[in-house]
Amino acid sequence: MGLTDLLTGPRWRSSEGLYGTVPIITATLLVTAGAILFAVPIGVAAAIFISEVTPSRFKSVLKSISEVFAGIPSVIYGFFGLTVLVPLLRDTFPSHLLMGYSWLAGSILLGIMALPTIISVSEDALSAVPKSYREASMAMGATKWETTIKVVTPAAISGISAAIILGIGRAVGETMAVMMVCGNSAIVPDPIFNVFSRIRPITSTIALEMPYVVIGSTHYSALFFLALILMIMVLAISMASKIIVNRTRRKFGETENKPSLTGIIVAKLPVPLVNGFKNALVVAGLFLIAYFISLTFSNSFGAVLIGISVTVAIVASSLLWLNRLKNEGVSDRPRNPSEFIESIPVKIKAVSRNIITYALVITVVFMGASLFYDDVVAFMAGLAVAAAYVTLRSVFRRIDSRVVQKVAHTALLAVMIFAILLLVYILADIFIEGLPMITWDFLTGYPKDAGRAGGIYPAIVGTLKLIVGSMIIALPLGMITGIFLAEYAKDTPFTRTVRNSIDILNGTPSIVFGLFGMSAFVIYFGFGNSLLAGCITLGLMVLPVIIRTTEEALKAVPGELREGSMAMGATKWETTVKVVLPAAIGSVITGVILSIGRVAGETAPIMFTAVIMYQRVMSHSIFDPVMALPYQLFYLATEGMGSPAMQSAVATVLLIMVLSMFTLASVVRHYFDKRIRW
Amino acid sequence: MVMIMDNVIDIQNVNLWYGDHQALFDVSMPVQKNKVTALIGPSGCGKSTLIRSINRMNDLIDGCRVEGRMMFHGEDIYGPGTDVIKVRKKIGMIFQKPNPFPMSVRDNITYGPKIHGITDKDKLEEILEKSLREAALWEEVKDRLDKSAMSLSGGQQQRLCIARTLAVSPEVILMDEPTSALDPIATSKIEDLITELVKEYTVVIVTHNMQQAARISDYTGFMYIGEMVEFDKTDKIFQNPSKEMTDRYISGRFG
Ligand SMILES: Nc1ncnc2c1ncn2[C@@H]1O[C@H](COP(=O)(O)OP(=O)(O)O)[C@@H](O)[C@H]1O
Ligand SMILES: [Mg+2]
Repeated sequence: MGLTDLLTGPRWRSSEGLYGTVPIITATLLVTAGAILFAVPIGVAAAIFISEVTPSRFKSVLKSISEVFAGIPSVIYGFFGLTVLVPLLRDTFPSHLLMGYSWLAGSILLGIMALPTIISVSEDALSAVPKSYREASMAMGATKWETTIKVVTPAAISGISAAIILGIGRAVGETMAVMMVCGNSAIVPDPIFNVFSRIRPITSTIALEMPYVVIGSTHYSALFFLALILMIMVLAISMASKIIVNRTRRKFGETENKPSLTGIIVAKLPVPLVNGFKNALVVAGLFLIAYFISLTFSNSFGAVLIGISVTVAIVASSLLWLNRLKNEGVSDRPRNPSEFIESIPVKIKAVSRNIITYALVITVVFMGASLFYDDVVAFMAGLAVAAAYVTLRSVFRRIDSRVVQKVAHTALLAVMIFAILLLVYILADIFIEGLPMITWDFLTGYPKDAGRAGGIYPAIVGTLKLIVGSMIIALPLGMITGIFLAEYAKDTPFTRTVRNSIDILNGTPSIVFGLFGMSAFVIYFGFGNSLLAGCITLGLMVLPVIIRTTEEALKAVPGELREGSMAMGATKWETTVKVVLPAAIGSVITGVILSIGRVAGETAPIMFTAVIMYQRVMSHSIFDPVMALPYQLFYLATEGMGSPAMQSAVATVLLIMVLSMFTLASVVRHYFDKRIRW
Repeated sequence: MVMIMDNVIDIQNVNLWYGDHQALFDVSMPVQKNKVTALIGPSGCGKSTLIRSINRMNDLIDGCRVEGRMMFHGEDIYGPGTDVIKVRKKIGMIFQKPNPFPMSVRDNITYGPKIHGITDKDKLEEILEKSLREAALWEEVKDRLDKSAMSLSGGQQQRLCIARTLAVSPEVILMDEPTSALDPIATSKIEDLITELVKEYTVVIVTHNMQQAARISDYTGFMYIGEMVEFDKTDKIFQNPSKEMTDRYISGRFG
């Protein structure tokens, strides 16, 4: 099979030797787009609520709620999706969904999972907007809400975009949850916006087929090819967010991140070349996405045409919009497209912006409605919504600004309450069903009947073993690297490149670690499906987290402490071990506990490196596989084994384990915060 | 200190607390129409607190409480029926550090009028030009109205902030050390501008710079630890102050 076949093949059917990635990649794009559509309005509204409306003493409460959202393992979200969301969708749209498994279910679930990222990063961006902007606006008689929407949010727009991009990154790399609710048919939705279609994104495909693949076959290569595409997407996402974050810093006059090796090379190149390259990259990316999606319903010539027109449309309209929001401040580098845009008369710009907005509203409504009604009705619905939008806008303009503020703040509060209720519901649903099942025998007994009955003792012990093993591998290595980076490494382009690589590793989807662990440790080193292979894989996965938390914690220790110690004749190493490390130990421990929580809940990295479904006697060899709680939950829930209450009980035990890590981490943080003050 | 005059604002026995900390003690001061009133005093004495309380910017601070009367055309700014939005529209404010919004020059100026309900494009253009001209900035920016305001120099930014305030047609402009972040040339431009502005508007200015107060103000209040030590015509304050403390501060024999 050639690259073209891989890239343009319309069918992925491993049983027939067909490995066209079009439907798979399309599915990833679609499910991510849906998730973002769901999560951005809710996430940004919640962030605005927390940053601008909430009195300061409640802020930390709301932020920790969002942290809890972030800490729930993805298999738990998947379980919630499978047992609550999928049936709910099936009953809501009985004529469209036979079972409920769908793109829609996947997008909603991924949207919920991307929420914490979007909320916390957007909130940081909004809070970072200087107070002086707010004061200037209020001093002119603007209301709080007008200030928020017309000054603060536009000023934070780069940070909010970074938040959205990071949210996209989270959604793109997610495996377990999508696999559990999307239906996993490698088909392209028909029509392309049919959210009720089953789909199968990249991550699910890897997870589903890896266990059965013949090593070294075309199939094997095709799966690695998919992983490669996934990595390229994730890399692009991380680069984009870095660029945006740097730009934000520049805007608020903070020091930028200093350049790494690549940065230095780029800085040496002529500016027009770099700009041209950046623009070309964006255009090529857009074209590829459009081309891909249109390949699914058109021949390749048509797809090229569609690709070009969609790209032109998106570039033109985003330039118009960006130009409006443009607030980069000091014009440091010539940016070609914006100058062109600036030459367009204001009136024409305003009109075209309106046209774009209305066209978008009409299209989205049309796409949604046409799934239910015939096209004419759907189009009318689009028009009606656009008209309602116009009317509402002009009505709001005329209403007293304080009333508008009341309405807006109430709406924000409603969104916030919705998000909190959602979390409470997810947790309560699992706990209420699961808790009564948890008995001493359940916790200490061995499974019976292939896991349908009996206890989960081996799974609990297996998870603990995985935690201990991965920490044995990651802790020393991670802390030493972190100490080195913070205390010894000079700030050179090389170390900055190392840091960037660590960050990239940090954002790598866990399924990619699983794939790597399988091919490297299970097969190449011949450890087989074993505790050892699983521990190394998980250890590698949390290594970047531990490195970075150690480094950040040490860097937060004030320099005077070091100078004080060195001044008494202590060596650098003595100072680090006896003064700096003890001072930073609280944050380090907090970081370690949080990564333990993450290890406990991860499923994708261990599913083909370390676990088995069923074990009647526990083995104590590190070359034998183990049972693990998250995988057990995944297996029981997707195979429909055991009673729902039993599945919930497994989920409950896992949740308690993870959430107690969170509680422990925050207790530790508070304890050390109180003890140490500078 | 008997003064018969056309008071736009009359501050009467104002006390102000930040939580438990009292920052203003029984402060009284008139503000006369079309005059520059300056506030001087060592740092931390409550100048910003006083000037910010005039257009109720202290409302934004948790736990800030005001007692006493602050009359604006005979109506109490802190009265129960008072509309804060109207107060701030009529009494604008310029801050220590120039704080233009990160938007185009045009959007900065039209922000206020739009907030107050003006949507007509021609009207907005008219306000744009008028305010920029009044702030002596028009000639410098008329060719770059759609460029980011952040690309202007510090002095231009501060004049832009003044123009932005003028765009909502206030009666009184409060300025809290408007030149302390600027170089001498930009400072003198702002000072000239203030002298020009009092023909149309009333200005209250906090300044750290005694020469500045002497140069541009008609009345001066000297504050010390939350109290108004002395308030009088600027000439009187600088040539023949009644309080010894004022004299010591003016002549620089003071902390
Ligand atoms: N937001 C605030 N919260 C609490 N105390 C404040 C606040 N702002 C100012 N203060 C206190 O009020 C006093 C007067 O401050 P300020 O009005 O800023 O003085 P000035 O402008 O004359 O330097 C100072 O003691 C200061 O610490
Ligand atoms: Mg001050």
